[in-house]
Amino acid sequence: MSDFTSLVDLKNKTVHPRVFVDPEIYKAEQEKLFGRCWLFIGHESQVPNQGDYVTTYMGEEPVIFVKDRSDRLRVFLNSCRHRGVKVCRKDHGNTKIFTCPYHGWSYNTEGGLQGVPQIREAYHNDLDKDKWGLIEVPRVESHYGLVFACFDEESQSLTEYLGSFAFYLDLILRRSKGGTVSTPGTHRWRMPGNWKLASEQFAGDNYHADTLHRSPNLIGLGPDEYRGGTPWDTDFEAKCSNGHGWINFHLPSEDIPPVQAEYMKQLEKEAQEVLPPRQAALINGVQVGTIFPNFSILGFLGFTTIRVWHPRGPKEMEVWSWGLIERDAPPEIVEITRKMQCLTFSPSGIFEQDDGCVWGEITDTLSGQNRINYPLNYQMGAGHGKELADKPGLLHPPSTEIGVFGYHEHWREMMGRK
Amino acid sequence: MNSFDLRQEFEEFFIKEAWLLDNDKYDEWLDLFDDDTRYWAPVRENLDRGNENFAKPHLLSHFDDNKMTLGFRVKRLATGYAHAEEPPSRTRHFVSNVQILEKETDRVRVESNFIVFRGRPGKDETFFVGVRRDWWRKDPTGWINEERMVIFDHDVIESITIFF
Repeated sequence: MSDFTSLVDLKNKTVHPRVFVDPEIYKAEQEKLFGRCWLFIGHESQVPNQGDYVTTYMGEEPVIFVKDRSDRLRVFLNSCRHRGVKVCRKDHGNTKIFTCPYHGWSYNTEGGLQGVPQIREAYHNDLDKDKWGLIEVPRVESHYGLVFACFDEESQSLTEYLGSFAFYLDLILRRSKGGTVSTPGTHRWRMPGNWKLASEQFAGDNYHADTLHRSPNLIGLGPDEYRGGTPWDTDFEAKCSNGHGWINFHLPSEDIPPVQAEYMKQLEKEAQEVLPPRQAALINGVQVGTIFPNFSILGFLGFTTIRVWHPRGPKEMEVWSWGLIERDAPPEIVEITRKMQCLTFSPSGIFEQDDGCVWGEITDTLSGQNRINYPLNYQMGAGHGKELADKPGLLHPPSTEIGVFGYHEHWREMMGRK
Repeated sequence: MNSFDLRQEFEEFFIKEAWLLDNDKYDEWLDLFDDDTRYWAPVRENLDRGNENFAKPHLLSHFDDNKMTLGFRVKRLATGYAHAEEPPSRTRHFVSNVQILEKETDRVRVESNFIVFRGRPGKDETFFVGVRRDWWRKDPTGWINEERMVIFDHDVIESITIFF
């Protein structure tokens, strides 16, 4: 077994290019990361009723997310125990039973094997149905609507796993009394590039925005010159526990379209009633974060997208992205924020298009037999982070790469575990 | 004008429209759209037969623009910093199967299939396939688009950096 820990150099703050291109590393990640970390499954609002299901992936493995007959949220591998065919082939729906299209084995929403064609004549009643239920993902927990699952029975709880990052996540999830719901439909698209390039960027790379995303600013879609809020106070990046990272900066109110400004004002008021003051003070801003390994969230002006960067080989990712909105948001706000999402962060997003294009080139160039010997630089801000009393994590105002490197420090730790 | 003539007129019209898109005439292409146009592409869902519903409230769309936001996309290409389109893609739009779906006094609903090729530097080649359902209004200046719904036949799609 290879030692991957030397690929992240803790002293020099560098990452070896192999981390982003090597098939052996990719394969090891499936077990060491996707087999052990908490992975995002879906939003509770996607399965409000008993029998409601959604199909998705944990890493490369297709899974079914279902609310069973006693309202319990469960996650199963979407694979028949007999020959492995998918027992559910729709994106979402409602059912009492998942039936394999191949030989007809069928399973209830608790995963139990219910029906086996010819069980008497062909199996002579020898088949112990109790032993052949769907393979269940043992841990399923949720945090204010977001449901995560984990293959590792020994893993810490989701709450422990989120750790200090929950403070920031809650700025979006808990800013209103009714909480959030996810809006209908999933943006699904393929992008060239290693899946970690997207995750690390959302964990704390605000540095790229001025250069890569210059075009939206040039056409008047952003402030000409970012005036910002107060460094350390409203404008900061946070390296949190377990490789999670957060970017936060204030949006000047004069730059906000009036309808959204009004909505944000109302949310700020509501937040003061439901969140502690130090969190309520941070509601109105641009907020971006990653939960290790491959879930990210991004929001501003009331619009929020949550997404998973599914690994599809070392050089490709498949993005699944959804919209989040307050349960009680008026329909016109749901529409405005939905259209913002389509314009900015979507398969056609005027920000997101350019991210995809550079991520693809990174994995192309790093594969070169010469380039691969030269490490990547993650030194920005190293040693200059601070811990503050009013918010968790190791902090530094944008730009810094403390959080991005923190993501790789945790990658190193997970990849080094036996 | 009878339906046959109208169909023929739109076949020719779509050939000219495709030419604009394939020859970098984005401003002229944009002129075809009404201020309140809706240029959108609802996401596809894999559901029971007949259950897919593009009219579902708040359903995500790959893009959902009016003329102003479509204009942002066009202007962005000219900045030189739209990196996903630098250097520009080579596109070829093939439009066929034109059908007149509905006819009103000065409005017409037209459907057309498309195959669009996009070539990027290196062997980065993509085909986009689908159908467009449009509403066009007859103006003194010509046909003005009031709505274009682009229905891709893709489920998991590639990054959309071009127009349809």
